[in-house]
Amino acid sequence: MKKPDMTRILGGLGAAALTLALAWPAAVQAQGKGMVPPAETMDVGDEPGRVSTEEVTITEGPYARQMVFFRSNEAPGTVVIHSAERFLYVVQPNNRALRYGIGVGREGFQWSGLVQVSRKAEWPDWRPPPEMLQRQPYLPRFMAGGPGNPMGARALYLGSTVFRVHGTNQPETIGQSISSGCFRLANGDIIDLYSRVPLGTKVVVRHKATI
Amino acid sequence: MRGAFRIRLQPSALAVLAAGLVALPAAAGTLDKVKQRGTLECGVSEGLRGFSEKDAQGRWAGFDVDFCRAVAAAVLGDAGKVNFTPLSAGERFEALKQGKVDLLSRNSTWTLGREAGLGLAFAGITYHDGQGFLVARSLGVDGALSLDKAKVCVEAGTTTQLNLGDFFRANSMSFEEKAFPSAAEALAAFQSGQCNVLTRDQSALYAERLKLPKPGDAVILPDVISKEPLGPVTRSDDFPWFNIVKWVNFALVNAEELGVSAANADEAVASTKPDVRRLTGAEGGFGKSLGLDEAWAIRAVKATGNYSEIYERNLGVNSPLGIPRGLNQLWNMGGVLYAPPMR
Repeated sequence: MKKPDMTRILGGLGAAALTLALAWPAAVQAQGKGMVPPAETMDVGDEPGRVSTEEVTITEGPYARQMVFFRSNEAPGTVVIHSAERFLYVVQPNNRALRYGIGVGREGFQWSGLVQVSRKAEWPDWRPPPEMLQRQPYLPRFMAGGPGNPMGARALYLGSTVFRVHGTNQPETIGQSISSGCFRLANGDIIDLYSRVPLGTKVVVRHKATI
Repeated sequence: MRGAFRIRLQPSALAVLAAGLVALPAAAGTLDKVKQRGTLECGVSEGLRGFSEKDAQGRWAGFDVDFCRAVAAAVLGDAGKVNFTPLSAGERFEALKQGKVDLLSRNSTWTLGREAGLGLAFAGITYHDGQGFLVARSLGVDGALSLDKAKVCVEAGTTTQLNLGDFFRANSMSFEEKAFPSAAEALAAFQSGQCNVLTRDQSALYAERLKLPKPGDAVILPDVISKEPLGPVTRSDDFPWFNIVKWVNFALVNAEELGVSAANADEAVASTKPDVRRLTGAEGGFGKSLGLDEAWAIRAVKATGNYSEIYERNLGVNSPLGIPRGLNQLWNMGGVLYAPPMR
C-alpha cells in the first residue's frame, strides 16, 4: 500500500480505487506483469444455437443469488466483482450486498480495474472478433440476439473496454473460469441484475493478488 | 489487611504474582519443550463439524485442527507432528494451564474475563462468529430488520436468549419467544413449524441446517448481532510462545492477501515482491527473532494452505457446512480480517 505500483493498486484497495475514479476510463489492467487486456469484443460460449430457458436462475448453493454480509466503503448500488471467488456483489446499506454467482475469464483472460456501466442491451447480438475466430474458427461471424445466443438475455457494457457482464446459454458453467474475460450470469440472474444497475454505475473488478 | 497489602502492589507485580500462582509447571519455554518433544500438543473440541472432528479414517480434520498443523509446520517443520487431545468445554482451560497441551485451538470465545482471570492469552481471532438467524425460506425475508412479529425459537438460559431480546428491543420490533431447554429441542420446534426463526451462533446454525430434512428450505440471514471471536489460546506466562502462535495466524492471513497459497508456495520463494519475500523469509530475518528458522511462515502455508484455503476446505461455501466468508473475509474484500504487516 505504500508502494506506487500500478498492478498492486489496481489489485483493488478501496482507497486506491477512489483515487483512480478520477482516472477513469483508462484504469483497466489485465492480470499479471504488463499484460495487455486480450483484444476481445465479446465473451464466447462454445455452443451457439443451444437454447436454455430465458428464466434459468440459480436457486441452490453458493452461486444462487443471495443477500450476504459485506463491508465496503463503496456506495450502495456499486457493483464489485471478485473474480477469484466467482462472485459479483451489488453493495447494499447496512454492511450487506446482494451476491450473484458468475463465470469468469480463464487463466490469462482475467483482469482488474475500475469502470462504469457505459451501455445496456437486451438480447444483444454477437459478433466474435477476429482474434476469437482465429482461435475458434467454427464460431459464426454474426449471431442475432436471442435465446440461443451465448451472450444471453442481457448485457452490461463496461466502460470503453471490450468486456461485458452478460447472460449465458450455458448456465451450468457459472462458477467456472472459461470465458474470454467477460463475466457471465445465468439468464434469470442477469435479468435481475440488469433491472438493478443503471447506466453509469461504478464497477470495481478485483482479482487475487499475484506473487 | 491482606487486601490492603495487595492494593499497594504495582499492577505488573500483581500480574507476575497471579501468573506464578496459576501456572504450575509451565514456566520453562514452551517452544523448547515442543522442539525437544518433537510433537505439538494441541487441545481441540471433542467433535464439532467443520472445526474439529475425526474423519472416516480416524484422522483429525477441521478448521481448528488445521491451525494446529500450521503451527507444527512452522515450529517443527512437519504438519503431521501434532498430538490432538479432545477436551470438553469444562476442562479445556485447566488442561492448558496444567501444561497438558501447548495450545488450545478449540472454538473458544475471546473475552476479557478469560484473559484477566484465568492466566490465559488469546493469540488472535481465527474465526469471527456471532449470533444470527435461520429462517424458513418461505418467509421471504433477506435481513434481520425484517423480522418484526416473528416467532423465534431459542435455547433457554443462554446469552443467546438475552441477545435476542436486546436486538428486537433495540430495533423497536416485537417478537414471540419460544424458549427450549436444549438446542436440539429448539431445532425440533423450528422444524415442526412452532416458530419460523431459529437463533444461535452462525457457525452452529450452518451445522444445524444440515440436520433439517430439506436444508435448502431454510436460509441464514447475513446479519450478525453479537460478537463471538474464536481463536487459539496459550498460557499468559510464555510470551515468546504466544508470539509464535499469534504470528502463525497473521502469516496465514497475510499469505492470502498477498496471493500466496499452498499451490504456489514454491514459486513464491522466488518472488521479487518485497512483501512476499518477507513472508517466505527470503529477507527480513524475523524467523530468528521468533526462535524459528526463516522458512517458518511459508512452510505453514505450504502445509495447510493460506487462511482462505483452510477456511474453504473446512467451512466454506463448497464444503458441507457452506458458510460464506462474511466477517471472515479479508478487510479489503468485504470482511474484517486484518493482519499486521510482516516487516
